[in-house]
Amino acid sequence: MAEVIIRQLTKSFGENTVVKSVSLKVADGEFLVLLGPSGCGKSTILRLIAGLEEATSGEILINGKIVNFVSPVNRNAAFVFQNYALYPHMSVRKNIAFPLATAGMPKPAIDEAVQDAARILELSDLLERLPSQLSGGQRQRVALARAIVRKPAVFLMDEPLSNLDAQLRQQTRLELMDLHRRLGITTIYVTHDQIEAMTMGQRIAILKDGELQQVAPPLEAYDQPANIFVARFMGAPPMNLIPVSVSGSEPTWSATTQGGSIDFDLKSVGITQAAIGAHMSESLQIGIRPEHLSLGAVGTGLSGKVRFIEPTGSDTFVTVQVGEKNVVVRCGVNETAKIGESVGLAVNPAKMHLFSADGWNLRTK
Amino acid sequence: MKVLADGDGQDLIALERRSSSLRSAKSAASYAVLVLFTIISVGPALYIISPAFRDSKSLFSYPPQWLPSEFFLGNFQFLLTQTNYVRWAMNTLIFATGVTLIALVIDTLAGYAFARMQFPLKKTLFGLILATLMVPTAAVLAPTYLLVRFLDDWTFGLVGIDTFPGLILPMTVSPLGVFMMRQFIETLPPGLYEAARIDGASEWRIFTRIVLPLMKPAIVVLGIFVFMLQWANLLWPLVATTKDETRVLTVGISTLQGQFVTNWGVIAAATLMTLVPITVVFLFFQKWFVQASVAGALKQ
Amino acid sequence: MTTTSATPEWAQLTMSPDECARERSRFRRHALKPIIGFLGPFLFLWTLFLAVPMGWATWLSFNEGGLVSDAKFVGFKNWTTFLNNDELRTAIKNTSVYVVVAITVVFGLGLILAALLNNNKKSQNFFKVALYFPLLIPPIMAGMIFFFLTHYDMGVINLLLQTAGQDRVNFLGANPNALMTIAGLEVWRGLGFWVLFYLAGLQSVPTDLIDAGKIDGARNTRRFLRISLPTLRPLMLFALVIALIFNFQLFDSVQALTKGGPTLGTTSIVWFIYKQLFTFQQSGVAYATSLALLLLVVALTIFAYGFLGHRKDGLK
Ligand SMILES: Nc1ncnc2c1ncn2[C@@H]1O[C@H](COP(=O)(O)OP(=O)(O)O)[C@@H](O)[C@H]1O
Ligand SMILES: [Mg+2]
Repeated sequence: MAEVIIRQLTKSFGENTVVKSVSLKVADGEFLVLLGPSGCGKSTILRLIAGLEEATSGEILINGKIVNFVSPVNRNAAFVFQNYALYPHMSVRKNIAFPLATAGMPKPAIDEAVQDAARILELSDLLERLPSQLSGGQRQRVALARAIVRKPAVFLMDEPLSNLDAQLRQQTRLELMDLHRRLGITTIYVTHDQIEAMTMGQRIAILKDGELQQVAPPLEAYDQPANIFVARFMGAPPMNLIPVSVSGSEPTWSATTQGGSIDFDLKSVGITQAAIGAHMSESLQIGIRPEHLSLGAVGTGLSGKVRFIEPTGSDTFVTVQVGEKNVVVRCGVNETAKIGESVGLAVNPAKMHLFSADGWNLRTK
Repeated sequence: MKVLADGDGQDLIALERRSSSLRSAKSAASYAVLVLFTIISVGPALYIISPAFRDSKSLFSYPPQWLPSEFFLGNFQFLLTQTNYVRWAMNTLIFATGVTLIALVIDTLAGYAFARMQFPLKKTLFGLILATLMVPTAAVLAPTYLLVRFLDDWTFGLVGIDTFPGLILPMTVSPLGVFMMRQFIETLPPGLYEAARIDGASEWRIFTRIVLPLMKPAIVVLGIFVFMLQWANLLWPLVATTKDETRVLTVGISTLQGQFVTNWGVIAAATLMTLVPITVVFLFFQKWFVQASVAGALKQ
Repeated sequence: MTTTSATPEWAQLTMSPDECARERSRFRRHALKPIIGFLGPFLFLWTLFLAVPMGWATWLSFNEGGLVSDAKFVGFKNWTTFLNNDELRTAIKNTSVYVVVAITVVFGLGLILAALLNNNKKSQNFFKVALYFPLLIPPIMAGMIFFFLTHYDMGVINLLLQTAGQDRVNFLGANPNALMTIAGLEVWRGLGFWVLFYLAGLQSVPTDLIDAGKIDGARNTRRFLRISLPTLRPLMLFALVIALIFNFQLFDSVQALTKGGPTLGTTSIVWFIYKQLFTFQQSGVAYATSLALLLLVVALTIFAYGFLGHRKDGLK
């Protein structure tokens, strides 16, 4: 069991800096998800922690020890690869046993450990098969078994579910969480799938272009996104953004859009007077999630015209054009709006965010 | 599509019929060409059977005698008793196998280093080696010969002219082999190698336990490639050996010419005796042979 | 929370840059150790038997002797001789003629047969094996086999001609017949290789390209010329360079069939080098010729791989 700390970690490939001074603290036994679009440097961070790449600068600590210049095996971190990286010429048993045999463990002890790992991951009947004779889900479990068999201090998983089909992915997600609960091993889990991140992570670290954007528990990242990038990346359909100009003074302020204005008070949107004073003259945007909007009669809130209607079965998403912006509203399945109809949009000001011109949320928690 | 636009149904059917008979005529012609070249390829080597079983004098008789009138074994007898044919054959085996084994070892090791390991000046070094990819023996014949002669003194006769190490070692250096092996190792998923590193395996253990077992096909291909090259090698053995103790078949057979006022029957017998075993091996492993020869060039 | 927030205490670096640099170099040195084991054997042999001889060859090209007597430095004398030696000129001319003839014929025939074979899926394997067969035969023995075909008195071809009442052909005893016979031998031996080479190339032409051609109604021949051939072009240029390098080394069949004769008619560059070195002990000009051959081959190799590397970058 171990705590992982990375300090101002930077990695460049030649001229190209792909991880930019990332600092992160993962508590002992925590399940932390590294989330970001593909190419943002998630895998690179994981590989740096594992010791598969050498950091350009910064420090990596596992269990309080700086491991930058420690070989992978002595970092005691297990890695689960996206495509599992099973040794194709070895049986499942040999695959799982490989780390132990490498460490020179006596054969009876290896056998026992392999049996244990196989039992935990329900592989006991498959031990003599070759990886090519297994299904995707089974291969994934073998990769996990090979990772847990040497009782690592840290689990590093690089998109382990991305090669599975949707149904299996959901099931394996639950199994992985269960495994974490049972073994309690510190886990850093990389994914580009925000649903996976939301459902699995105790905390989520969101990354963009090698820079850390926000580290927070899932709901906090969803409800209090630090900036526009996080706000748009978390949630589908993404948060609506509408350019506004803010005017007013204590106690009532108003944000004026092309489709009307929204009155709010600073306390309910969580913004200080100093913050709004500093940014008032910028071109600000409000952010509001589809579920925090509702359709009403013309005259309520913002006014706009219905453009698209997308029923998904459980919800119906209605796209309303407000000024030049399309705004998505989540409605009940019984919504009766028609395309082309003029409607009013009621905004819940308490759920509204105000973003500065450089994209940061003015909200203070 | 165009055809449809051009004519009505009748024409179309006629066209179809004509073109199908044309097609079958064409395919018959192409078949005939292929058969012709098959005969050209195999025929000359098959013909060698006839003179091998005939007395040399009958070779020059007129009208020509196509088939042996009697089953004359004198050529073989001569070959086995009056020449060192058996010794040459053994030497060829030692030479070609020796070069192949050593080349396989050093090429796979170096290929692994270039494919998977990081070290300073790697690119420069690889570029240098690549530049020497096809340096012909002929171009370095004199210095190599001199070198081996010097090594005779320096290694107390271990490596020298008329020794197997002296014959074998200079031929083991084939940058092409390193290149092929590197290319192959690079096609293996890097994840395997990294997984093994995480699992605590040393480079040596990764090489022997993970990479080598997956390289079997490449090793067979390179092995055949090198063996075929060396078993046919004439120039270096010609220079590096002066005695029958180390002389190989190619050199030995070329000494049959002239040495005995060119006994053609014996030459035919020697050629036949050499071709039979390699042909048998070839027929068993034809797929690998074909792959090996094309791989040498196609694998870039 | 903004980007400019101060670094928390837990994220402060604790290693000084010096310490870090020291640890890093220690770690890297440690990682370098196994390299010696992997690269050492090849590098040792490569240096000893390739790099050293190449350097030595350069030095030797300014020397005379050395094989039986001591080497003597002669400056650029070998190179002036190299430019003026008639026998060498003949050798270069012969080799060039041979290279052009052999490569043209073998590439042309190889391509045609590969195309025929590509359309003949049924017996493809049989033909492949049959055409490949001569490649098994070492050139020196292929030479012996060719004796039985082309010998003036007992050669099969002449016996057949004689039976048919025709004049015999002096394949080996006249010029330029002898050189052409040798070219014929190399074509015979090498044809199978090129057929397989082109076949592999043809079969790697993406099938959707070919299908697109079929849909467009392109005829077989046109399809071959317009679609398959252009896709093969980079490969062919590469193959051409390789073939040049290999064929410039013509030696074995000369040794088997003609010993350079008649009257230098089949003296090739390598035969010339070998003869000068080991029969006439005229080492000087042979050293220069060797070095010239070496430089030619290295230049061609760099060209071929430089070209290939270039092409790959272009594809990205
Ligand atoms: N070995 C490497 N050499 C050069 N660039 C690399 C290397 N590995 C990754 N990169 C680059 O670093 C960036 C981040 O890659 P990666 O960490 O794999 O992203 P992610 O896992 O988030 O999709 C990418 O732009 C990628 O091209
Ligand atoms: Mg990744």
